Amino acid sequence: MSANLERDLLQQGGDPQAQPIGYSADPRDLGWVRQNVPCQTACPAGTNIPQYIRMIVESRYGRSYEINREANVLPAVLGRICSRPCETACRHGWPGNGEPVAICHLKRAASDLKDAGHRITESLYSPTGKRVAIIGAGPAGVAAAHDLSILGHDVAILERETYPGGMLRYGIPEFRLPRDTLEIELHNALRLGVELKTGVSVGNGANEVRLSRLLEDYDAVLLATGCMAAQSLPMKGEWENVEPTQTCSDVESGLDFLLALHRGEAKRVGRRVAVVGAGFTALDCARVAVRLGAEEVTIHIRTTEEYIPVSHEEIFEAKREGVRIKGLRTPVGLRVDERGRLTGVEFAQNRLGGWRSGGRRQAIPIEGSEFVDPCDTLIVAIGQKTIHDLLDLKVELDRTDSVRLTDDGMTSVRGLFAAGDYVTGPTTAIEAVGQGRAIARRIDAWLMGKERRKTVVRITPVAGPLRERAYDFIPRQAMPTAPLHDRCKSLALEVEQGLAGDAVLEEAKRCYLCNLRYEIDIDRCIYCRACIDVAPRNCIKLVKGVETKTDGSYGTLEEAKDWNEVCAIWIDNNECIRCGACFRACPVQCISITRNELTEVEA
Amino acid sequence: MAAVGKHHVIIGGGISGSQAADTLRTLDPDSRITLITLSRLPVYNRYDLPQVFRGRQDWRDFLVQPPEYYRRSRISLRRATRVANVDATRRIITLAHNEELRYDTLLVASGGRGYLPEELAEFLPLLDSFTSFEDAVTVRRRLPEGGHVIMIGGDMIGLDLARTMVETGHRVTLVAGPQTFWPHRLEAGERKQFLAVLAKMGMQVVESEAHGNIETIEPGAKGMPARRIVFGDNTDLRADSIMAFCGLVPSVEFMLGSGVDIERGLLVSRSLRTTNEAIYAAGDVCQIWDQDEKRYRFYYGWKNVRAMGELAARNIVGGDEPWSSNQDESLRVQENGSLYSPFWEYA
Repeated sequence: MSANLERDLLQQGGDPQAQPIGYSADPRDLGWVRQNVPCQTACPAGTNIPQYIRMIVESRYGRSYEINREANVLPAVLGRICSRPCETACRHGWPGNGEPVAICHLKRAASDLKDAGHRITESLYSPTGKRVAIIGAGPAGVAAAHDLSILGHDVAILERETYPGGMLRYGIPEFRLPRDTLEIELHNALRLGVELKTGVSVGNGANEVRLSRLLEDYDAVLLATGCMAAQSLPMKGEWENVEPTQTCSDVESGLDFLLALHRGEAKRVGRRVAVVGAGFTALDCARVAVRLGAEEVTIHIRTTEEYIPVSHEEIFEAKREGVRIKGLRTPVGLRVDERGRLTGVEFAQNRLGGWRSGGRRQAIPIEGSEFVDPCDTLIVAIGQKTIHDLLDLKVELDRTDSVRLTDDGMTSVRGLFAAGDYVTGPTTAIEAVGQGRAIARRIDAWLMGKERRKTVVRITPVAGPLRERAYDFIPRQAMPTAPLHDRCKSLALEVEQGLAGDAVLEEAKRCYLCNLRYEIDIDRCIYCRACIDVAPRNCIKLVKGVETKTDGSYGTLEEAKDWNEVCAIWIDNNECIRCGACFRACPVQCISITRNELTEVEA
Repeated sequence: MAAVGKHHVIIGGGISGSQAADTLRTLDPDSRITLITLSRLPVYNRYDLPQVFRGRQDWRDFLVQPPEYYRRSRISLRRATRVANVDATRRIITLAHNEELRYDTLLVASGGRGYLPEELAEFLPLLDSFTSFEDAVTVRRRLPEGGHVIMIGGDMIGLDLARTMVETGHRVTLVAGPQTFWPHRLEAGERKQFLAVLAKMGMQVVESEAHGNIETIEPGAKGMPARRIVFGDNTDLRADSIMAFCGLVPSVEFMLGSGVDIERGLLVSRSLRTTNEAIYAAGDVCQIWDQDEKRYRFYYGWKNVRAMGELAARNIVGGDEPWSSNQDESLRVQENGSLYSPFWEYA
C-alpha cells in the first residue's frame, strides 16, 4: 500500500472496519500484489485465490464461486481439470512450509457446495451495437465470448463440432470432467445472448463458411480454433519419414483416439497398450485404455516423472489404476508381424541432458542402447500443432508457423484477432481461459477506441489477523476417489469425488491469505522488538535499507548488523505467513493489516 | 585430501551414511562432519530389526557405533532432523524447522522407504510399519504370542522378517504379488519353486492375482482379529497385523528442487557423483550408471550399501574410483530345504 493511502486510512482512527476501501493504481501497490500473492500471479487467468478461499472459511460458497468466476468463467470445470500452476507457486509449498494448499480442490468445493439456487450476478454494459464472431467454442473462445457479451457486444460462436466445449468436451475423459458439469458452466457462460452455431465449419470447403465473409459480416473476428492436429512421431531407420498412424492400424494419435471416443465411436485397444508422451493427453489415453479393458498399459516418457508437466495426483491415480510409467526412453521404431500388426515398440535408452527453453529437460538417446518393449496398441500423444487450412486470406505467420499478432492481439488482417492454443500452441485449459479473457479486453478496446477497463488494487482495512498459528499444522486434505474396482469399469464414473464439508473447511484454513499485507508504521514503532520475539519465522527484520524495483515491488532487504544502522523495522513479506503473532504482540498497535486485491474498474 | 575445515554433510543415518562418515573422518581428519538422520536414535542397523522377535528389544543392541563414538570422532549427529530442501547453487540445506546448514560437500544417503502400491495407498492407516526400531518394538508388543500376520508383497526384507516370525512361533500368511522376492530378478519358473519353499518353511502362501487381487482392507469386527483383507473373488483373510513389504522407493523428495538429476533415485556417475559436483549419493537412494546395461540401476543389500558409503567418502575427498559390485544376487534353496538370499547376510 502506498504510504499516503495508508496514512489516510490510519488517521481516520476508530474501528478499522469502518475505514473506507481504497483503490490504487500505484505501481508499488500493483507490484506488491504481483510479488506477494504468488498463486494469483501464477494463475494465467489471474484468479483472486486468497479471497475465494477466505470466503470458503466464512462458508460463503456462492460468493467464493462468484470471485472465481470473475476471472475464470468455468470454475467447476477448472476445479476438476486445471493444471494448477497456482499450487506450484503456493507459499505453503515453499521449502520448509509443507505442502501447497489444494487450491484446485477448493475451487471445485466452492462450486459443489454453493446453494442449489445460487444466482449468478454479472454487471452488464449497455449494448454497443458491435458484432463479434468467434471461431471455436473451446475454453478460449467461450471465455472471450462471455466477457465480450458482458461488455455489450453481440457475439456469435461458430463451432465445427456438434457440441461446444472444444478440447474440454472432446479431449478430456468424462471420468475427469463430468459432462453435466461442463454443460452447466458452458450454458452459464453463453447465456448473455451469445449465439452458438454448432456444426458450422469455417474453411475453404464446399459447405464451409469463408473467413473473409465473416470479416465482412462482423466488426471483429476471433480465431480460437485451438491445436487440432496431432504431432507425428519421428523415428529412425526404416520408420524414418513414415507416419505410423497411417501405416499401421494398431497405432493411433492420442488426439484422434480421444476425439473419436468422445464423438461416440466405439474404441478398442489391444491387451498390451503402450502410450508415448508425457502430458495430460498421454495420461488420459492410458487411463481410458485401462477402462477399455487393456491388461497392461505403460506410458513411455523421454525424461523422468519429475519433469513431466502433469500433476502428481494425476500420476498417482493413473498408477493406482495399474498404469505403469517407464522413463528415459525414446521411441525409434516399430515392430510389426507379417500381417502388419504391431508387436512392439523399439526404444533407445536416454540420459538426461540440459534444459530446453520453456523449462523442460532434454533427453539424449544413448547410441547402441536400443531395445524392444512388446505391445499390441500404440497411442502417440506427443503434442498437437496448429493448422491454418481454415484461412482463405493471407495472414502473416512467424518463423514457427504461428500466427503473428500485434500488441493488441490482432493479426496482420484488420479486425481479425487470435487467441488460445491457436496462437501459442498446446497449453492448458486455464491458460486458454486467461487468454480468452485478455483478448476480449483488447477486442473491446479496439472496437470502442479506448480501454474501458483497467486493473487496480483494492485495499481494504482488516480489523485483525484472520488466521491462527494452529492452521499452519493442518495437513493437506486428500481428495476422496471412487473405488478402484468401480472406476476401472466405467468411462463415466468421476474419479475425484470432491472434498467433504469438514475437509473443505480444514483445507481452506491452511491458506496463508497472502493478500493480507502486514505493515509496521515506523513512526509509531517503539522498537521494543516484541514482534520479533513472537515471530515464528525470520520474518521481521531490522533493516538499514530496502531496494525498490522498477515495477514498484520491493527487492532485497538490507539487514542491519549493528543497532546504530537500523533505519526501520520491516516485515519481510517473503517470509511472512500471515500468522498474526506480531499484530497481537505489538504494545502500541503500530502494525496494520490490509487486504490487497487486484480488481477491474472503469478506466 | 580435502582442504582443511571443509564441511561434509551427510543426509541419512543408515549403514551407507554412517560408513561414509567414518571413512571421511579417517581420510579428512580436519574436516567438519555433520550426519543428519530422521531417527531419534543414533545410527543403528535396520537390517537387524527382525531380531526384536528373538527378544532383542534394547535399542543399544542395534547401534552401529556406541553413542560416544560421535563425540570422539567429532561427527555432529543431528537426530530427529528432517531436511526440507537442498539449494545446490548456494550449497545450503534447509531443515524442516527452517534452520539453514551450509556445506562444502554433500552426501545424500537417505535410503528408501517402503513402497506401497498405489492401489493400496488408501489402506495405509491399517497397515503396520516395520521401518524403524520404534515400529519394530511396537509391532512385537502388539502381536499376541503365536499371532497371525499377513504380509503383502514379501520383498527380501519382509521375507527375512517373515522367516523370523515363523521361527519364533507366529503364523505368517504371505499374499504374494509382483514384488515378492524383490530385488531378486528371477528366471522363468523360479518364482513357483521359491514360493513352494516358503510354504515348506512354514508360511501360508496366497497368490493375490489368483484371488482377484486385494479389494479392500478393513478393521476386524469386534471379537475378531484386528484386520481383514478381502479379495476380488470375495474370499478373505483375517489377521492380527498386516504389513506390506513391496520394495523400496528412494527418499528423494527434499532433492526435487536442487536441480540434481533424478529418475526414481538420484542419478549418479560411477564415481557416485550426482550431476552437481559437490553432491554425491550412496545407498538405496542412488541409481548408478551401468555401462554394460546402458541404464541407471540400483544396487541393493547391506554389503553394497556399505561399500557405496565408503566409496563415496573416498571420492568426496579427492578420489576418482569407479563403483563395482561383487554382491551375489542369486536366490537359492539350501541343502536343508530353506531359502537363502545373500541379501540376508548382515555382518
